Amino acid sequence: MSDLQIEVKNISFAYEKGREVLSGVSFTVAKGESVGLIGANGAGKSTLLKLLVGLNPGFSGEACLFGLPLEKQNLAEIRSRTGYVFQDSDSQLFLNTVYEDVAFAPRNYKMTEAETKERVLHALELTGIPHLSSRQIYKLSGGEKKLVSIATVLSMTPELILFDEPSIALDPKNRRNLIRILNSMDQTKVIASHDLDLILDTCGRTILLSDQTVVCDGRTEEILTDRGLLEAHGLELPLGLQRTAHRPE
Amino acid sequence: MGQTGKAVHEVHRLEQLAARDQWVNRIHPLVKFFLTVGYLAVTVSFPAYDLAGTAGMAVYPLALLILADLSFRDTGKRLRLVLPFVLLIGLGNLFFDRNLVQIGGFTIRAGVVSMAVLFVKGTLCVLASYLLIATTSMEKLCYAFGILHFPKAVITQFLLTWRYLTLLLEEVNRMTDAYALRAPGQKGIRMKAWGSLAGQLLLRSMDRADGVYESMLLRGYRGDYAYIRETAPLRGRDAAWLLFWGALFVLFRRFPVLYLAGAGIGGLLS
Ligand SMILES: Nc1ncnc2c1ncn2[C@@H]1O[C@H](COP(=O)(O)OP(=O)(O)O)[C@@H](O)[C@H]1O
Ligand SMILES: [Mg+2]
Repeated sequence: MSDLQIEVKNISFAYEKGREVLSGVSFTVAKGESVGLIGANGAGKSTLLKLLVGLNPGFSGEACLFGLPLEKQNLAEIRSRTGYVFQDSDSQLFLNTVYEDVAFAPRNYKMTEAETKERVLHALELTGIPHLSSRQIYKLSGGEKKLVSIATVLSMTPELILFDEPSIALDPKNRRNLIRILNSMDQTKVIASHDLDLILDTCGRTILLSDQTVVCDGRTEEILTDRGLLEAHGLELPLGLQRTAHRPE
Repeated sequence: MGQTGKAVHEVHRLEQLAARDQWVNRIHPLVKFFLTVGYLAVTVSFPAYDLAGTAGMAVYPLALLILADLSFRDTGKRLRLVLPFVLLIGLGNLFFDRNLVQIGGFTIRAGVVSMAVLFVKGTLCVLASYLLIATTSMEKLCYAFGILHFPKAVITQFLLTWRYLTLLLEEVNRMTDAYALRAPGQKGIRMKAWGSLAGQLLLRSMDRADGVYESMLLRGYRGDYAYIRETAPLRGRDAAWLLFWGALFVLFRRFPVLYLAGAGIGGLLS
């Protein structure tokens, strides 16, 4: 058994017949890695993440998570070991209070109330929001909702967490806080984002998705400093690197 | 805040009330459900002209209002919306019930009394149902339904509909806000825009509902309601509460308690 958590080989997928969104995508992610998935809007990042948890059935190619083929009979186990943080927190959260929503997964997995409580408190601590526990979700700010979304996933104690545009709609302070939390998590992470600064700060490896496929897969510092490569695929250098890159020769 | 904004706020406000850590809120949902059903049955069963007896039933909602520390003003405001309908139901009696009755030495048309009784019954029933919802979250109520072996599919449907209603209202709110911002000074929404707004609304709320459903699936949801837990099991306190009110309902139904109390006080004074 290898310690690969994601193995994807030659995957293709189309929502509508004849219009492929992903075509011949292959990559692997090993245990403990933090991988950035970048690409312009509409490149297929969200589609790929959803596919990995079985929400986009009907793809061709091979996909294995934790060594289990991505097939119907394995979905329950794969999903129980994978956390998914939605781009839109309002889709992720749907119960009344923060506590209830974070408790949703442990309760579904038939934990006792004592275990559930322990899980919830721990997840809230990891995300730095124990004080929000009894608050109503609809009254939270966007940044707080994002942290709660992450807590709802952490309470499942997943081995792998997929993030879809986690920094979208966050102000600089909340964004820095998010980066700190992401870096403190030791699970395997795949972070889809077009916020390249975020990727630079959180991921050692980056996969660039463009024209329905993986065009580049390597060390983040190399890919995110390659202005020609990024611009050719509708992206710009991270702001953090722009000043140095603009320096005249 | 527009009309829909208020509606969204109201739904969340109800949930907030239900989520409070009040004594009444902590009573087992099954007990509260049974008491409410019993209350409705007893209240409705009073004879058509027994105004004093029916009015006596107000003791339960009043006690709940006080114990749950709910504002009389807010409650009144919420009831205001349904009361006209209750009044309307009773109004027919004025015309159809032309008998005469004696009350305290006065002779009046029976229709007036039966209308008043219907009105009181209607108000009390609406109030009691509202108090159930305001002290018990939809999830806890469904937990009680689960114990009663309501079909799983029905409960799940009920819960999802409740969640969907909130999403739908939020989308309506967002869209009417966006419309109002781009049509300043215009009252309401033009007829012409209704069609496309309704279509948009359907698509958007379906999208949101899809998202929520996916999020549920990914967090272990298997079409049941394992995620609904009553943190407090059925306790002696709950049984006592049920017995107390159950007995009181029967007492109020069998004996003219208000009348007797009045007579008793009168007897003491003279
Ligand atoms: N549910 C859907 N039905 C049809 N097409 C879709 C759907 N979701 C996304 N698409 C299309 O698939 C492509 C990739 O979208 P997406 O995966 O959301 O990209 P990204 O997340 O990288 O911005 C886009 O062209 C988008 O229009
Ligand atoms: Mg996306």
